[in-house]
Amino acid sequence: MPGEEIVYLSVSELAKRIESKKLSPVDLTQAYLDRSQKLGPRFNAYARLAPEIALEQAKAAEKEIQRGHYRGALHGIPYAAKDLLAVKGLPTTWGAKPYANQVFDYNATVIEHLNRVGAVMIGKASMIELAGGMGYRFASASLQGEAKNPWDTTCWTCGSSSGSGAIVAAGLAAFAIGTETWGSIVCPSAFCGVSGLRPTYGRVSRYGTMALAPSMDKIGPMARSAEDCARIFAAIAGHDLKDRGTVPIDKGAFTYSPSMELHSRPLKIGWLTNAWKSLAPGVAKPIETASRVLKRYFSSVKDVALPVGPWEDAGSIIVAVESAASFRSLIRSGRVSELTDPLGQIAGYVNEQYSAADYLQALKVREIVQKKMDGMFETFDIIATAAQPIAATPLTLNLETDLAFPDPLGGIGNICGLPAMSVPCGFTEKNLPVGLQFVGRAGDDFAVIQAGRTFQLHTDWHKKHPKIH
Amino acid sequence: MGNKSNSAISRRDFARRAAFVSAAASLAPSNLLSSESSAATLPAQHSLNAPKISREGQAEVESRIQSIFAQYGDRLSDAQKADIRRLATEAQAPLDRLRAFATDNGDGPGLYLKPLMEREKKPSPVPTTRKPATVPKNS
Repeated sequence: MPGEEIVYLSVSELAKRIESKKLSPVDLTQAYLDRSQKLGPRFNAYARLAPEIALEQAKAAEKEIQRGHYRGALHGIPYAAKDLLAVKGLPTTWGAKPYANQVFDYNATVIEHLNRVGAVMIGKASMIELAGGMGYRFASASLQGEAKNPWDTTCWTCGSSSGSGAIVAAGLAAFAIGTETWGSIVCPSAFCGVSGLRPTYGRVSRYGTMALAPSMDKIGPMARSAEDCARIFAAIAGHDLKDRGTVPIDKGAFTYSPSMELHSRPLKIGWLTNAWKSLAPGVAKPIETASRVLKRYFSSVKDVALPVGPWEDAGSIIVAVESAASFRSLIRSGRVSELTDPLGQIAGYVNEQYSAADYLQALKVREIVQKKMDGMFETFDIIATAAQPIAATPLTLNLETDLAFPDPLGGIGNICGLPAMSVPCGFTEKNLPVGLQFVGRAGDDFAVIQAGRTFQLHTDWHKKHPKIH
Repeated sequence: MGNKSNSAISRRDFARRAAFVSAAASLAPSNLLSSESSAATLPAQHSLNAPKISREGQAEVESRIQSIFAQYGDRLSDAQKADIRRLATEAQAPLDRLRAFATDNGDGPGLYLKPLMEREKKPSPVPTTRKPATVPKNS
């Protein structure tokens, strides 16, 4: 049986051992299952473990590999899927009581893609109820309870891909799938000290995935390194006839191999001067150090400011209106009252009230800022800043009244569908992880991956993991 | 194309946004953000920071609240009604900012988001030919 050090290896490292038959996918899967059974409840990391599916898939992978049919880097690699991705025959709760017994008879496209490359699904990751689509005031807004941060269990993982962050950070699976409408991959990745990729809108099919705000929902990997994210993204990206939001075939697919870096272009970085009003002192220091790393290893780093405009307001209204439409039956039936969070029980009523004219104005504003940002990417390949201005926050905090700050980059990045990556870049004085964020031009997911990969070639923050006993 | 409006968002607005967006839109402990720390714990400052709403805006807010109460009032507690009133009020300032942002009649709404992955091809450089001296500017 693999030792504990194995569970923190990157996908790339695990794949080498599996391909060379030095590591059994069944043993690896069992190791993650045992660890997940033991530690998962401590972090409220899982909605459900799926040992039967996992062992069946692991045995199939092992058999194939023994026969010489190796499918690639994810073959035999265990992962967790956020509990808003449909897995045939398993409950898919969307983290919310009204859907506690929901079971689909088909797989989400992402799950199908991961099945195709031989990955092993060991369970469904816990999440904020409805991915926060009805609002939430507390970290406990989840059918599974508050997700606890493996670096400090008195702190939150951030949401809504809460369990996905905890699972990767605690070494309960090799990677996890998260989703982001606004912040839900980038923030948990930063809080949990893992690498997370928010792909360009439309690169990954949402078929079989809970809709929150269909014009902003995205699916992406959370893993131990930028390279791992690239490998996972390569497996799940692509046009899908079942999701009309996916980009055309020639722009959807993504291929990755480490040798591509040899041919990649020198990246011009724009260091954002107005992404955050201020950084918490514990965050400012690692971010300052990270900026020096960028200056040393990237072809150019110059200051740049985000355009000023009501982008966050537009994003907020788009999410409010689309989420009210997505959960209309829940709101109108009154079952929204079954949600855990007091804010989630009522915010949908307010969101229903926006006018069509205001929604369309928000969509017009979106096109304007899309063009502005595309102009910025004429000069820069990547814009960079702290992933969050703070580190993980206490579990009991009232998010509505005690937590708040402007997030223009989150607003712009998500309403424009821009790719982003958060990579670990240090720790606060309380040993909580800090994330560095790279944002790229729509469609240029490779550049954000390249930026993350380059940063991680010269730092080892992504190799740190919490001490868990 | 749109004009610029002041997008400075007050701390109170962020809390409101958290209510509406909440898809893990970033939220931060106020005591860690020095520039806004005192406002977090002083109710008086909340009201100072509360956005000013025009009379028309207030009427609009009230109309939204009444619409909610007419439709759903019998399933809401008094505390929830008060919360809804607050949320609906806090929603007005972002709406006003959004409406104030100038857009042209011809600006297209991104009805279904298509990231700008297909960009206009820049015209290839035109071979340099000397323009006739008689061509007036702005013709």
